[in-house]
Amino acid sequence: MSGLKVKVTAVEEVAEQIKHFSFVAEEGFTLPYFSGGSHVVVAMDIDGRTHRNAYSLMGPTSDTSCYQIAVRKQESSRGGSVFMHENVLPGAILDISMPTNLFAIHRLAKKHILVAGGIGITPFMSHISDLNRLGYDYELHYAYRSKEHAAFRKEIETLCGNKAFFYPENETGRLDMTALLSKQPIGSHAYVCGPDPMVNSLEVVAKQLGWPESAIHSEKFLAPASGAPFSISLLQSNTVVEVPSDLSMLEAMEAAGIDAPYLCRGGACGRCEVEVVECDGNLVHHDHYLSGAERMAANKILPCVSRANCSRIVINL
Amino acid sequence: MEKGYSIKTKPVYGTLIWQQLASHHVVVGGGEGSKALLKLFQQMIPTQPTTVFYLAEDSESKKYAEILTKMTGEPITVCDSMDSLLASINVALEHCYMGTQFYVAGEERLIWPVTKLFSAAGVDDRNVFKEQCGSLARRVYCVHCETINENVHHDIHQCLTCGLNLLVRDHFSRHWGAYMGFMVDGEIPGDIPEAQEIYP
Repeated sequence: MSGLKVKVTAVEEVAEQIKHFSFVAEEGFTLPYFSGGSHVVVAMDIDGRTHRNAYSLMGPTSDTSCYQIAVRKQESSRGGSVFMHENVLPGAILDISMPTNLFAIHRLAKKHILVAGGIGITPFMSHISDLNRLGYDYELHYAYRSKEHAAFRKEIETLCGNKAFFYPENETGRLDMTALLSKQPIGSHAYVCGPDPMVNSLEVVAKQLGWPESAIHSEKFLAPASGAPFSISLLQSNTVVEVPSDLSMLEAMEAAGIDAPYLCRGGACGRCEVEVVECDGNLVHHDHYLSGAERMAANKILPCVSRANCSRIVINL
Repeated sequence: MEKGYSIKTKPVYGTLIWQQLASHHVVVGGGEGSKALLKLFQQMIPTQPTTVFYLAEDSESKKYAEILTKMTGEPITVCDSMDSLLASINVALEHCYMGTQFYVAGEERLIWPVTKLFSAAGVDDRNVFKEQCGSLARRVYCVHCETINENVHHDIHQCLTCGLNLLVRDHFSRHWGAYMGFMVDGEIPGDIPEAQEIYP
């Protein structure tokens, strides 16, 4: 996969546990234009193994002299965000992927309702620049734990004016999804990015009210889950790869030198989907890409986040 | 037609059934679409607010309008022309929120202008529930002179404007709300098969 080499120019702590990074292109590379909602995958070398995390580009989309991302430190995670916080300093060189968009706005919508929880604000920062430029009708609803966690609030107030609404949980309580979604004009589309309970609650409330599924958009990047070790037999490569408990199937294959396809590495895009030929146990799907019927059929897996509860799985790769 | 052959753009219609998860229902019918509406209200009178529009162009349709009013127990807006129907719906759409479910029953000449009105308000065609009732006559768009020919019952139709003999294809344009009609004797001028009435 072709990528970009970038140099970190600034690192700033913008809220509790949230750092904001700015990148410029290294010599010989130019940063391509991207659309609101795009992300890049950042490669990190942690203890001799390559770790890749997806981060939303924060825009503005008109500025390609510099890319910006924000990273929340997740102590319980597998180390990617901790590495970004502790090891990535101004001057560092990083490998990133080309921007990809799995969370674009629906251009035919009459009104855009953006709902962010915590660090889930990041994709909307680039959306806002697009929506402002296009003159589209929108509202941004931003919920966070307390004012110490309100990353980018000042910038949002400047960019959105009276289109932005803020919900510090310790003052106003949880965002009331029913109140938010029940009086939106027809032709509205809702976009949500945040913690699982928030995304689920918006989806459930919208469904109960009668919103069509096609008007609800969400983005969740999953970290690969850990689990019991097992081995993968690769049919085409005619080799066997052991998956330890703390690596994903994709990471284990990469560590063994297999050039497996991938894009988002978060169970969202489906690019890494492979055919399961045989499995002496059960597939444990963690993605939000495969349909219920595909899961039932048990002959496909997304190795970026999913695993198997088995001793041996055979895939067509 | 060849076995197993179909064209993706050709609309496939269903039977109207209430969507249980809804905040409001907007129901539109015309002509024999009244029967689909009656069947719908015989399933249940929904608990959510329901707005009904009915196009009654003849005396028989007006009778159905009376039965419908009795069934629903709520006033329904009865219009006597397509223009006034579309205008009434348009006003009502301004007061609709997300969560409104949309239903249309009648001939294609009613279904598609109404669906297009909903689309203009931002409602995706896939989220409009449609039941075809009454005549199967088609609207045909002449790809040569851009005329829309209404009420076409035959598979080959002479365009009212340019006079070309058109083969009516299943290729349907949601933009025009019409089937595409292509010159049937383009290869061998004058070789025009006999027209058959296949859309009674």
